[in-house]
Amino acid sequence: MAEKSSDIYYKEFQNLEQSKNFLKKENYDKSEIQLELKNLVENYEELFDQVKIITKISDRLQRKLDKTNDKLNERNIQLQETIDALTKAKVGRKATTYILFFAVALFIVSEAFIEPRIESWAALKFSVGIAFWVGLLLKFVIAFMIKPGEMIIEKTLLKRARKEIIKVEA
Amino acid sequence: MELLNIEGSKQTPKINFNADTGILEISGRSIPENSFEFYNPILIWLDEYVATPVEKTVIKVNLEYFNTSSSKYILEIFKKMKALHVEKKDIVVEWYYDEDDEEMMETGEDYEDVTGLPFKILQIEE
Repeated sequence: MAEKSSDIYYKEFQNLEQSKNFLKKENYDKSEIQLELKNLVENYEELFDQVKIITKISDRLQRKLDKTNDKLNERNIQLQETIDALTKAKVGRKATTYILFFAVALFIVSEAFIEPRIESWAALKFSVGIAFWVGLLLKFVIAFMIKPGEMIIEKTLLKRARKEIIKVEA
Repeated sequence: MELLNIEGSKQTPKINFNADTGILEISGRSIPENSFEFYNPILIWLDEYVATPVEKTVIKVNLEYFNTSSSKYILEIFKKMKALHVEKKDIVVEWYYDEDDEEMMETGEDYEDVTGLPFKILQIEE
């Protein structure tokens, strides 16, 4: 495998080639062998140093990346929780507004149409006193329906908001 | 000798080598697509600097992250500067790391061990 001069291990490749070429020679002089061995040892030592430090650093930087990744995941979870809380608060406010309008409308309808009919029916059937209590009971029923109604609306709106978030993320 | 100024980017560190003051600064992130292309001019500049250095050389390294091939070139830079240390020239490496970046601190210590250059491992206060 020939290395280009722009490869990061070009120098090491050249050193290796030099030693290989030396081995191809037919006759060796003792001093030549010594010199070649010296060069080889020096190059090997340098390469060994490089391998040691690069491996160590690479592992350590991988650890750093993993840590950063973990932190990022943690932040994503926190962000998702904040988004959920905000969505819930927004939906809660919307639900309260809806139920308020509904309650006002129901109150007006009840005061204007339902209650007089029930009261007159109760007055005919029982007495005026009982008719008063029936009217009051009707108002209590309306008042107690407000909270569960708000919860139902809130749940429905929240479900819809989550679906929209999932759609956007996809 | 001309100044060596390379603007930093998302992938490459900022290089500010000044042969007149002897302050050589590397900072930022080093994950170049082609490490040879980025570091070769720096190594060539250093060869020239090592031939005619100023009285005191300070190498300031403040790296946030670097990839494996960059780590080889950083080692090459230190090895080139080792020549000055061998010649008993005044040289120091200031290795900066963020307060919570234990990995970068240990990396500086590793370079110190392998190169034998005098290092100052300095914490950046946040």
